[in-house]
Amino acid sequence: MSVAAAHSGGIADHIHPEPQGFVRRYVFSIDHKIIGIQYLITGFVFMMLAGLLAETIRTQLLNASGGFVSPDTYNEVYSVHGSAMVWLVIIPIATGGFGNLVFPLMIGARDVAFPWLNMLSFWIFPVSGLMLFSSFLMGAPAAGWTEYPPVSLQGAPGTTMWCAAIFLVGVSSTLTGINFLVTILKMRAPGMTFTRMPLFVWGQFATAPLLMIATTALAAALAALFMERVFGVPFYDPTKGGSPVLWQHMFWFYSHPAVYIMILPLFGIISEVLPTFSRKPIFGYKLIAFSSMAIALLGFMVWAHHMFTSGLAPFLQVLFMVMTFTIAVPTGVKIFSWIATLWGGKIHYSTAMLFALGFLALFTFGGITGVFLAAVPTDLDLHGTYFVVGHFHYVLVGGSLMGVFAGMYYWFAKMSGRLLNETLGKVHFWLFFVGFNMTFLPMHWLGFMGMPRWVATYDPQFQFWNRFESVGSYIMTLGILCFFINVIYSIRAGKKAGPNPWNARTLEWQIPSPPNYYNFKHIPTVYGLPYDFSQPLPYTGLEDELTDSPPAQLTGAHH
Amino acid sequence: MAIAAIPHDAHGEVDQLYVETRELRLQGFLLFLISDCVLFSSFIFAYLYLRNTGQGWPPPGIARLDVAFAAWNSVVLFGSGATMHYALENWKHGNFMKYMWMLIATIILGAMFLGGQGYEYHHLIFDEKVTWAGSGIFGASFFTLTGMHGFHVFMGVCYLTVLLLQTAAGTYTYQKYFGITAGTLYWHFVDVIWVVLFSIFYLL
Ligand SMILES: [Cu+2]
Repeated sequence: MSVAAAHSGGIADHIHPEPQGFVRRYVFSIDHKIIGIQYLITGFVFMMLAGLLAETIRTQLLNASGGFVSPDTYNEVYSVHGSAMVWLVIIPIATGGFGNLVFPLMIGARDVAFPWLNMLSFWIFPVSGLMLFSSFLMGAPAAGWTEYPPVSLQGAPGTTMWCAAIFLVGVSSTLTGINFLVTILKMRAPGMTFTRMPLFVWGQFATAPLLMIATTALAAALAALFMERVFGVPFYDPTKGGSPVLWQHMFWFYSHPAVYIMILPLFGIISEVLPTFSRKPIFGYKLIAFSSMAIALLGFMVWAHHMFTSGLAPFLQVLFMVMTFTIAVPTGVKIFSWIATLWGGKIHYSTAMLFALGFLALFTFGGITGVFLAAVPTDLDLHGTYFVVGHFHYVLVGGSLMGVFAGMYYWFAKMSGRLLNETLGKVHFWLFFVGFNMTFLPMHWLGFMGMPRWVATYDPQFQFWNRFESVGSYIMTLGILCFFINVIYSIRAGKKAGPNPWNARTLEWQIPSPPNYYNFKHIPTVYGLPYDFSQPLPYTGLEDELTDSPPAQLTGAHH
Repeated sequence: MAIAAIPHDAHGEVDQLYVETRELRLQGFLLFLISDCVLFSSFIFAYLYLRNTGQGWPPPGIARLDVAFAAWNSVVLFGSGATMHYALENWKHGNFMKYMWMLIATIILGAMFLGGQGYEYHHLIFDEKVTWAGSGIFGASFFTLTGMHGFHVFMGVCYLTVLLLQTAAGTYTYQKYFGITAGTLYWHFVDVIWVVLFSIFYLL
């Protein structure tokens, strides 16, 4: 019997029974959209906590002599701030949050491949977050977010908790990566070929293998650190034959690709927002899609550019320097494609678009300062200074976090059915943008002047710019408060969004906001790219989506 | 007659949902094995890195491993790989009795391998005084990596035992065959990892 002769009823047509009761609907949900929202809420809560730590840092640095917290506490504060922002905020929001929320809709699927596994991935995340923050109760990790041994071997008991927490959140990431990869490979709607996938899906597709592979390498490094701290098994302690540099290799083998875990999904968001609000097809669709894959691949071959001061052989230094420079090529291709998309477009300055444009400016700047650090001679001078801090905050806050906000202002309408308030949104953007630059731009010249990072007190000559930065950071925080107020206000009283407030063309905008639990009444067929604004939509089978009729599977038809 | 393995629903039609779900699960499982492989590779990298940056190898005062014994133990494990392969083949062709016997053989050989490893550990720890935490990077790498591998074999033995009991009780039926395929993949994966571990610890 051929498969075609069988009645349809494959996985694409399958509808889970409607979840009943509050717990199954909103707590232990297997619906990717709810799980996505759970990720976002949890991520933003952790962002508030880690932001509080950031303001503790900036308040301490108001005075050259410190005095707000003790130097030991200061070490704990910046270590947990960095760890939380990377592993509990940016990565979960970019992958588990926006990934879950949007990409299954974009490929015309009813859910991810493994909904139960998805629920498990999510629930590991808040547990590990609480574990990380609980480390303050027992003496938090104090060797920076990179936790280099031998310092981390001698750290307080909370360092062991840190290992366990990051290991667990890594397991969650790995499971998410597997889930997303299978979903994209196997569950696309008919006609949704790889070269018709929206660029946000490409972003997730490039990120998923990084989540799977790089995170596992970090898990090994963390497991070894855990074993050494708890059982005294020598991996990193040089007095027992171990090597602290081994940790650096394993840590950066993960953490450089992790930079792309934190940026590729946001590239995807930018690639959706820019064409929608400039009413023009994205320029160089294939260039953007394939350069994501190139970045993901090259990202595995450059980790030792973080180790130029760790006694790397000179030929290896040159090799890693050149490899790192090559990543600038696919990244530059993207930036030029985005600028070309804007060129001559009818630009609509919505808040989402402002954040996308802000992303473009700040990320490009952060990319350029990255080249200074990838070049061996300048890195030897700048390593361990505030220049580094300035650089990666431009990439991770000016880049990733701006992208997160662009995504929030864009897709909030889809997840809640209401629009975020645009006026408050613009206040948010300008406070955030100005405050951000005030906070992190002076760090570059402070770095050139030789101000070291990771210090609780500093030379009085740096005081003016440090105060300037702290004021900037308070302004930035005000901006973020506007965002939270906006979310709370708009959920209750925001303007009703309707299915497609932006006139966007990807599939998630062709169904109601918020979508029904089964996403699509009928799985659509796809005929082309979603970016051709002058043409009719390239889909069929969507006629019933905005009517009241239930899907055929639920009307008692043969199943 | 491999086609007979496609499951049918109550109406005698192909259960498309099961077929596709199985395909998804297999792909997911394969990706899981890739991550698992990265976990092993990272520790293998750590071992080779430490070995090459330390002060000479083997570290002074550490006895040579018993290569001959480990070689025999490896033969036992590879034998279980062969019986696992035939278990799957027989399942596909509907030869239940042969499938059951092959599965039992796999479980016994797997358990024998674990027994051999236990014996080797006992010998190292109590006769040679080589321990996990007290013998420098050799003890750390050897016990961590072979321990991880042994844990994988142990999990495999448990899993196959459950599968065997389920088949015997009739709850794992001919219609479902994700479990046996995944089990076979996993078992071969564990075999391949052992080839690498054997080479780097006993031969290199
Ligand atoms: Cu890097």
